[in-house]
Amino acid sequence: MKQAQTHQPSGALAMPHWKAYFIALTSVIVTTGLAFMLHRVLPLASLSLLFLTGILIVSARMGLRAGLAASILSFLAYNFFFTTPQYTFAVDDDGDIATLLFFLIMATISGNLAARMHREMRQRQDSLHRISKMFEFGRRMSSAAQTGQVLTALVEELAEELDSPVAVLVPGEDGRWSEAARTGSAVVPLESLQEAWDRGSDEPLALDGRLFLKLGAGPAAMVVVGRPPGQQEAQDLARSFCDQAAIALDRTLLASDLDEARVATEREQLRSALLSSLSHDLRTPLASVIGSTSSVLECGTAISEDDRNELLRNTLEEARRLDRYIQNLLDMTRIGQGGLSLDRNWVELHDIVSGATARLDLVPGRFPLTVDIPPDFPLLWVHGALIEQALVNLLDNATRYSPLDGHIGITARQQGDQAIIEVTDEGPGIPPGEWEKVFDMFYTASDSGDSLGTGLGLAICKGMVAAHAGSVAAGEGPGGKGTRMRITLPLAQQASPVPER
Amino acid sequence: MNPTRVLIVEDESRIRKFLRISLEAHDYIVQESRLGVEGLELCAARQPDLLILDLGLPDMDGMQVLKRLREWSDLPVIVLSVRAAEAEKVAALDLGANDYMTKPFGVSELLARIRVLLRDRSPDSTSPQVLESDGLKMDLVTREVTRDGQAVHLARKEYDLLHLLLAHPGRVLTHRHILTEIWGPDRNEETHYLRVLVRQLRIKLGDDPTAPRYIQTAQGVGYRLAPGAD
Repeated sequence: MKQAQTHQPSGALAMPHWKAYFIALTSVIVTTGLAFMLHRVLPLASLSLLFLTGILIVSARMGLRAGLAASILSFLAYNFFFTTPQYTFAVDDDGDIATLLFFLIMATISGNLAARMHREMRQRQDSLHRISKMFEFGRRMSSAAQTGQVLTALVEELAEELDSPVAVLVPGEDGRWSEAARTGSAVVPLESLQEAWDRGSDEPLALDGRLFLKLGAGPAAMVVVGRPPGQQEAQDLARSFCDQAAIALDRTLLASDLDEARVATEREQLRSALLSSLSHDLRTPLASVIGSTSSVLECGTAISEDDRNELLRNTLEEARRLDRYIQNLLDMTRIGQGGLSLDRNWVELHDIVSGATARLDLVPGRFPLTVDIPPDFPLLWVHGALIEQALVNLLDNATRYSPLDGHIGITARQQGDQAIIEVTDEGPGIPPGEWEKVFDMFYTASDSGDSLGTGLGLAICKGMVAAHAGSVAAGEGPGGKGTRMRITLPLAQQASPVPER
Repeated sequence: MNPTRVLIVEDESRIRKFLRISLEAHDYIVQESRLGVEGLELCAARQPDLLILDLGLPDMDGMQVLKRLREWSDLPVIVLSVRAAEAEKVAALDLGANDYMTKPFGVSELLARIRVLLRDRSPDSTSPQVLESDGLKMDLVTREVTRDGQAVHLARKEYDLLHLLLAHPGRVLTHRHILTEIWGPDRNEETHYLRVLVRQLRIKLGDDPTAPRYIQTAQGVGYRLAPGAD
């Protein structure tokens, strides 16, 4: 409100006339008083300068009319009090008459000049205000990321500037209008709206007591101002606001198009990676299964019993691998869809480790595997099956890249309120540059000759640990050999101790 | 002794086929059904000794079959379930299933589970004084426990837990079941009591927690005592 008034172009001139004239009168009285005090030391002609100064001040401050009033009053006061004979409007001296005449002319001219200066200064202030307003609006527009934000900002700023309710309406495909943003409670007459829309004029259109502005080049919406402002400047400002908003709208639409395109591209890339992974990783084990079983059927008794058993064991192993792969795909889908619901419970890490090693058939003793978990390691508050799957995937990876007699270690320790679980192997290790990339989906070690990896395992491990607000990181194995995979899980506040042991 | 009769209720013909072949190779008499309703009728008409029940059937939910069956029969039941459905397994066990197999599974494991269930039912189980399994011995009268001949001193709850497990060797007991038996029905959600108790018991039995000889963990479901050698 306050701003709406101060930026009125006629600012001070709009103040009541009597007040301006009163100030003019006061200034003349003050000047006269000063002149009385000084007229003993100053020549009479110089006193006129004192009056002129007063007139200049009044003109510059209060505008032309007050300036003229001050000029006439000053002329009369000067004449009455200081020219001889004093205290009459009669003038004796011809020179004094000339002085008075010049005084009047000078007062009028200088008052005029000062008033013009005053007006121009006002206009400059107004345009400065408008520019800063536009600038501020532009900044708000450029920071608006979404269509809704642009429209809200537009109606808010317009409503403030024009001190009026504002609404933005969007035409629907069925010819109905729907409101996209509004402030206050402007009733929008639909016929006028339709008429303004049909005219498609670039200029703001006043119809039915409202102002209609179009928004967008191939206009996308109409802006309706409830109480149209009188001044052309305000209308111009409203129009500039709409133009800026239209540019911002184009930008947000473009940005959301780009965003959609980017997501679509990523989805496409993921899909093709998944498909190529599917065809490779499902077919490889299937080739063994089909080859082995058909050999058994075809060759019958021609192959030795040992060989037949070997083929069947081969089949079984490959089928189990397929099962693991399918489990991974399912898990990945669940992680990807955010559908990983945690069924947390108190779980013993030992149980997770024994479950994971059993599933991979890594029996300590028969396999170079050592497990080192302190006996008093705290219980974990996790979804056991998911953490087990994460560990299975780490161990699967470790065994895949390990040399035949390579040692695999599982260790755990508590560090503050975190559980640290590490899996180490003596394989070729991972170059430091790839420590983060290995957790990406479908990433497989670049120089792995044996392409058994699906590129899903570590991504799933990361997803499952992350679902528990934990993290997993790759690093250098002990003694700079092999790989160390470290799972960090936050430890929950331990549950109350068991009563009555 | 009469040959044991096993009823398989499963809609996948290939799974029925390999089950039939391997069970018949071990001298079981096998009956098959691919529908829940028919399966229930066969249970009533033919009185099998054991039921293998798939939880995903075309005509009715396997859980429903189990529920109806339990209204009139305590026939041992092994349910077949898919992975990543721990809640389903627990629900089936709580509804009265005696054990579960996760698809895909190997036949040797299934045969072991069948043997455990049938042994449970054998007539010589007339409230024994001594429970035994794989070197573990519990005298119910003197409350003495020995492992490979060495005395093991157990606190009361540890003893109760071991007793419960020894009474059903090879059978999986759900967390809820064990908690209710030992702490009472009010505390059947407090799984951490059970975790801590199992940890203590394993230490006293000298059991390696990462490759347990006695107390095995069924992740997300419960515990079972390793069936031991027959």
